[in-house]
Amino acid sequence: MWSSPLCTLLLAASLGWLSAFLMDDDHMTSSAPSSPHFTACVSRDQATFRCWWSEGSFHNLSQPGALRVFYRYKKNSPWKECPEYIHSNKECFFDSNHTTIWTSCCVQLRSHDNVTYFNTEHCFSVENIVRPDPPVAVNWTLLGVSPYGLHYDVIVTWDPPASADVSMGWMSLAYEVQYRRWNSSEWTVVEVQGGTQQTLYGLNVEEEYEVHIRSRMKAFTKFGGYSDSIFIQLANYPGRESIFPVALVLGILAVVILLMLLLFSQQQRLTLLLLPPVPTPKIKGIDSEMLKKGKFEELNFILSGGGMGSSCTPLFYQDEPLVDCIELDPLDPADTGDKGGQSSEAQRLIGGRQASGRPTVGGLSHTLSFCDEDDDSVVGDPPNQDALWTLLTTPSPSPTSALLLPGQPELKQGFPGGRDPDPSLAHDGAPRPQAWLNTDFYAQVSDVMPSGGVVLSPGQQLRAQESTAAREGQKEKEEEEAKKKKLGAQIEGEGKDPVGDEEPEQQFQLVVMAADPVGDGYTTDAMNWQTGVVNGYHTLPAESVGDVIAPSVAVKSAEDYQPSYILPDASPTPARYLPPVSDYTIVQEVDYQHSLILNPPPPQAPAHQCLPLHPLKPLTPMPVGYITPDLLGSITP
Amino acid sequence: MQKNKKDEWSFAWLGALCLVLRTPTDTVRAAPICDNGQASCQVLSLADLFDRVIQHSSRMHGMSNDLHSQFEQYFLPSRNHISNRVNRNCHTSGILTPNGKENAQRLAVKELTEVILKLLWAWRDPLWHFHQSMAHHDDFNSFSSNKALVMGDLVHELRTGVEKVAEKMQNLGIISNLVNGLRSPEQLLPSPVRPQWSLMNDYDLLFCLRRDSNKVQSYLKILKCRIVPENDC
Repeated sequence: MWSSPLCTLLLAASLGWLSAFLMDDDHMTSSAPSSPHFTACVSRDQATFRCWWSEGSFHNLSQPGALRVFYRYKKNSPWKECPEYIHSNKECFFDSNHTTIWTSCCVQLRSHDNVTYFNTEHCFSVENIVRPDPPVAVNWTLLGVSPYGLHYDVIVTWDPPASADVSMGWMSLAYEVQYRRWNSSEWTVVEVQGGTQQTLYGLNVEEEYEVHIRSRMKAFTKFGGYSDSIFIQLANYPGRESIFPVALVLGILAVVILLMLLLFSQQQRLTLLLLPPVPTPKIKGIDSEMLKKGKFEELNFILSGGGMGSSCTPLFYQDEPLVDCIELDPLDPADTGDKGGQSSEAQRLIGGRQASGRPTVGGLSHTLSFCDEDDDSVVGDPPNQDALWTLLTTPSPSPTSALLLPGQPELKQGFPGGRDPDPSLAHDGAPRPQAWLNTDFYAQVSDVMPSGGVVLSPGQQLRAQESTAAREGQKEKEEEEAKKKKLGAQIEGEGKDPVGDEEPEQQFQLVVMAADPVGDGYTTDAMNWQTGVVNGYHTLPAESVGDVIAPSVAVKSAEDYQPSYILPDASPTPARYLPPVSDYTIVQEVDYQHSLILNPPPPQAPAHQCLPLHPLKPLTPMPVGYITPDLLGSITP
Repeated sequence: MQKNKKDEWSFAWLGALCLVLRTPTDTVRAAPICDNGQASCQVLSLADLFDRVIQHSSRMHGMSNDLHSQFEQYFLPSRNHISNRVNRNCHTSGILTPNGKENAQRLAVKELTEVILKLLWAWRDPLWHFHQSMAHHDDFNSFSSNKALVMGDLVHELRTGVEKVAEKMQNLGIISNLVNGLRSPEQLLPSPVRPQWSLMNDYDLLFCLRRDSNKVQSYLKILKCRIVPENDC
């Protein structure tokens, strides 16, 4: 009787604890006053398990043997006592013989005398209380370091615990890796589902890291204990100091890029600086711009030596390196229009070079004037007459310019220049081609007078007029035909007709093939042919200098003249034609195909007739302002 | 002539395509399985088969665990609920299963295989009904109901796989013919003891499912270790 309230009390107390025990956990929450209870039941290998108890507040039950553990698996089976006690730990160990998996097991604490039952049951299933041991042999290896040596990656490896039968597959383990910086309190967690290694990324160099790992069963939630911590530190990595060389390299690279930008922006100026253009024979005061604009009056003026008193100096006098400037009178172009003018010029020449008339060298002299000195020097020490005229007449094989004489088979003597020094390049806009062509830049000295004067052979026109024009015409007709065939479809028909009309007058068939700006062949213009015929030159306007020129030029047979000169940009209007190619012109450039780009000679060529014409003797071929390709090699640039 | 060539090429391409597309997408080594069980068809070795079914069983166990914990969280938030009832009587309790590692290792291969198959057959109907009941729950998220459906498929596939393993073992002479009555669930449990699975509530069913899937996984691993010799077993 008296025990029944006690029993009820006990029952009530045990029911109170029962609710706590019914949590699916091996840890029980205890409330005061606490009766003896189980603190934990854990299995390490899913084959055995242990249970720990505590006496709670019943301190009189703390001695070993005061409390006993009973267990049972099935509901109807009898309670059995703990197979193995470890009193020092207050632990009951269930070995594999006493362990049944997949079965609910209940344990119970009883007093020594089996009278009081402190809790009804603490039930669990062994597979649910498995907490595997921590992994063993935790180690780390360096995976890589970042380029600047600030961060590095490591691989952490470990082995499964020995107690877990992983090899047979009885237990499948998942792991959890935690790491932190040594002075930090927060752990970084990395879950590892399978495998026994894990890579940690982005660790800071020069900092120490602490790593530990714990394991659990796959598809279960309870972790085992942590492994022993390992410490990872990468100190004094040599790559750390490499940041400076890297910065240096980057700086140098930036400087190089800047230099290259500068180079490209200033390309033209640098090109001029490093590769100065080949000085071409120039006439003081005349430039290609002026020629382009077509200010021929000015050109004539200048060339005749009026403006600055410049004079024409023969270039080809090789013995004397620099021929002194010879001042020439600017001759009225009208004067040269007739023979009278020429003869008077011859007279003037013969009469000496004194004030009345200065010898005017032919047009070519324009190309030869090196009059960068004062005019005084011209008169001061002129070369002797012989020298002068020999200069004029010497067909030096290696002048700076060669004569291109088309249409003359006998011209091919190794000296590209023809006999007639007249061929000159087409230029644009000669208003009075006839007058202009009447003069020759060079003339052959046919005789020297006893008085010291020089008799010069006549120019081209004179020769043409008196010689067998027909014969020439025949020849040139043939060549014309050949040329026509070659040009073929490129040349419109109309261009050819006028050529034939003026055959007799043609001494040369120098065709200046100029490319269209469009580049589709020859520009043909009837006007061209007509106007350009004077003096035997067919000229085509050179409207642009282009690559097309080269093929166009190639049309001509090798047998013929080798016209390979190209006019620089001439006046764009094709209507004004072109007069006659001047006898001589300025070599402006040599293009990539070894053709010469010549300045168009000034329209008022007659103004500068430095050369009196002797009607008697043909002019020896003189090198003129253009060079054939094969001559080019022998010419020093 | 050229048309014939073209046809040949197209056929060749089709054939190549067929060959390429026929490769199975299973995660285990992709190799064709011989369906008719001919002795000459030895494409897949027994070890490969075991690996496949063990992977499958791991998946099944994982999914059953997820289902159980989700169910617990969703329907039984309070921890006071009795979750560790002693008398959780699963409908498969009548099947004699080795309840320990050593017991399972001591069991004969044939019996072990039979146990596995019995377990798998026992879960076919309950899972289907469980899926049906989950679908009617409006408050249970659809993800779990889909998982229940997937669970049924998994169990079915695993069962098929284990049967194939058993066939192969029979062909290899490892075991004798299996009991034919495995397929009838009625013979699994003695009638007086068998609790009707329809009477079990869903939570208990999930609990039992989790336990049984763990059993199947462990038995399969033990079986593989015994049949396919490996250095670690």
